[in-house]
Amino acid sequence: MNKTRGVVLFARNNGRLDYVKQAVFLAKRIKEYLDLPTTVITDSFNYLQSNFDVSVFDKIIQVEYMETKNNRAFFDGSLSHKTAPFKNDMRDGVYNWSPYDETLLMDTDYIICNDLLLKCFDMQHDLMLFKESYDLADHRDHTEFEHISDYTIDFYWATVVFFRKTPENEVFFDLIRHIKQEWNHYRRLYQVESSLFRNDFAFSIAVHIMNGFAKGSFVAPLPGKHLYTTDRDVLQRLDKDSMIFLVEKKDHLGEYTMLKTEKQNVHVMNKFSLERIIDAEMKNV
Amino acid sequence: MSKGILVLAQNNSTVDYVEQACLLAMSLKVTNPNTDISIVTNDAVPDVYKHLFDKIIPIPFNDDAASVDWKIENRWKLYHATPYDQTMVLDTDMLVLQDIASWWKFLENYKLYFTSKVFTYRGEVVTSDYYRKAFTANNLPNLYSGLHYFEKSDLALEFYTWLELVMQNWELFYGMYVKENYPGRVSVDVSAAIVAKILDCDESITNKYASFPTFTHMKPYIQNWNRTPEKWQDCLGVYINRNCEIKIGNFSQSGILHYTEKDFVTPEIIERYRNYLHV
Repeated sequence: MNKTRGVVLFARNNGRLDYVKQAVFLAKRIKEYLDLPTTVITDSFNYLQSNFDVSVFDKIIQVEYMETKNNRAFFDGSLSHKTAPFKNDMRDGVYNWSPYDETLLMDTDYIICNDLLLKCFDMQHDLMLFKESYDLADHRDHTEFEHISDYTIDFYWATVVFFRKTPENEVFFDLIRHIKQEWNHYRRLYQVESSLFRNDFAFSIAVHIMNGFAKGSFVAPLPGKHLYTTDRDVLQRLDKDSMIFLVEKKDHLGEYTMLKTEKQNVHVMNKFSLERIIDAEMKNV
Repeated sequence: MSKGILVLAQNNSTVDYVEQACLLAMSLKVTNPNTDISIVTNDAVPDVYKHLFDKIIPIPFNDDAASVDWKIENRWKLYHATPYDQTMVLDTDMLVLQDIASWWKFLENYKLYFTSKVFTYRGEVVTSDYYRKAFTANNLPNLYSGLHYFEKSDLALEFYTWLELVMQNWELFYGMYVKENYPGRVSVDVSAAIVAKILDCDESITNKYASFPTFTHMKPYIQNWNRTPEKWQDCLGVYINRNCEIKIGNFSQSGILHYTEKDFVTPEIIERYRNYLHV
């Protein structure tokens, strides 16, 4: 029997950023580059239905709209930022919500420009995440993405996750839920200085525990490289599979260097600039 | 063929190396109860620990380190002191935390073996040469004598004969082979590296692809930290459970732990091992 395959996105708006819009945009690209169905998990169903073409989604799962005290600053280049709720506390539920046997879970600010992630489905590993990553601005201190704190464990990105429905992975996602519920305990145990709950941290801690509190092979690396730009950079242009970024200059606040990527998936953390690009694209359609 | 672990312990004015060796022997009995360990020492081994050792051997050919506090001058004598055909030499400030039967099997492929790849407490390969500038600057083989192995053989005898020569005339040899970052005192690791270079045997006495035998090296500046304290215990907790399993920080430890700091040996850790072994 063939296993079902698909992508799951979370889209929970926070009043500042339109994750629903990002999810619609990404679902189209997923169809174009990966030819996979996309399920969206959203707390803004009515907004989605009344403003966008829902046919881009294979399935829409509604979750309750909830406020959160988990606030963080979202930058739009190096000189501007807004503080907004960071509604990131439902990822552990993806194991049960996903309608697929084999799931790619993605952040909505991960811009797909090639079909590399399709290789996941041919690989034997049941759980894959990115560990190694590459900042497009080569000069920035990268250590926060090597370990979750100076003396503790390896950093894994929760931006893209491939998993199959296996008993081990069910335990893994249950463990992430437990870590989330007891976040104040775990952040102290793992010397995370910020009280902000981050899925990257929770996933990293869960991987470490599943590995028996040591380096291990519970999780394998996703195919390809995890390229990212931070929210201090600006996505300036997106043209099919090429992107132009303004990447902040070292020691020159507010100045940027132009950089172009082609056929590279990139995690674009400046969601404001991403939304400007999406708006422009939608206007042109 | 007989085989066992050998450790040289000489107390000085500040460190009780015999106590460290006793703790090492207890750790071995927990994880490798059938492996023999012998101690080479002129210091008294407490009665309560004597039964842990297969043999207690006096330092042969007099004590060359009697007048110094950093007592390594007798290290070359271990080849001559060992009671075993196959010997694994360990530093005293180490603990054996897992069954190392497969390591012995691996070492049967060698007459002489030095580990050249050590790990951080996080299981990362140590890449920093912070403590080994002399090795990189002078292109010396990156050998660690803290864990090494020899079988009684022509090669091992020749190596140890040269090691005696180099250690007893270290200023001469270091002047020839360690011109950059010249060490201020004799070092077993540097001396062993020089001998390997003289005999041109480094390829055959280590294996850079092997992930064991090796040890976890706790010197602070090689741990891939941004903020490095003077002692690793200043930023990492040590936890030992009733089964004598050890965690450092968030990491379970296995293999051989080279803890390097004398105050790692606390009454609590000794007590754990004594309770487990009923010593």
